[in-house]
Amino acid sequence: MLPLSLLKTAQSHPMLVELKNGETYNGHLVSCDSWMNINLRDVICTSKDGDRFWRMPECYIRGSTIKYLRIPDEVIDMVKEDAQAKSRNRTEMNKNRGGNSSQNQRGGGGGGRPGGGNRNNAGNRSGQGYGGGPSNNAMRLGGAAGQQGNRLPHAAKNNRK
Amino acid sequence: MSGLESYINHTVSIITADGRNFIGTLKGFDQTINIIIDECHERVFSTTSGIEQIVLGLHIIRGDNIAVIGLIDETIDSRLDLANIRGEPLGPVVH
Repeated sequence: MLPLSLLKTAQSHPMLVELKNGETYNGHLVSCDSWMNINLRDVICTSKDGDRFWRMPECYIRGSTIKYLRIPDEVIDMVKEDAQAKSRNRTEMNKNRGGNSSQNQRGGGGGGRPGGGNRNNAGNRSGQGYGGGPSNNAMRLGGAAGQQGNRLPHAAKNNRK
Repeated sequence: MSGLESYINHTVSIITADGRNFIGTLKGFDQTINIIIDECHERVFSTTSGIEQIVLGLHIIRGDNIAVIGLIDETIDSRLDLANIRGEPLGPVVH
């Protein structure tokens, strides 16, 4: 399993990111790329010594500044499901060359166009699944990382609603 | 490919560039030695008290920050009496 696939699966989940300079960022992962650059929402930044906090609605972190990411335990099981879903899509694609299940109503059609359509659909399913609407809702509902909850200003909760 | 392949799903000890020691199950790695560590623990060494184990959970550690990855012999490791082992904490890597 690749670290960056795990990170991608962790989109919309809360996480803790420690930077090389010792600062930590608690927030929900919005997006990431192949350089480990990441977007977080509802962020709490903690200074290196752990006694100063900053709350920010979002932030962007350059991958090369990251030391490690701590992510929820259950995410590792979801990667396997992701991979299975992907391979299932792939085999379906091969079976239905020239029209997949959603396009069957329109009839088999010529080889060329439906073939292209299939490729696009598969891309949407596997590539953008976690970045879409549901994850945004989840982020707005979920609190920003409970770990320092006792030191958070209570106003934070109200702002989020 | 890399010698790390044979460490997958085994317990490993990671020493990071900032001198910390993480123990956990290696679940994956990539070409830059970013690694996935499941059931990650940190062992904190001290000269005045025993080794403190801190449970951390699932981690992705960035390759830049990794100095050493070692395979742990679980039968030997489980015999260790961590509470009675003292040692100087490691310092960070000096560039």
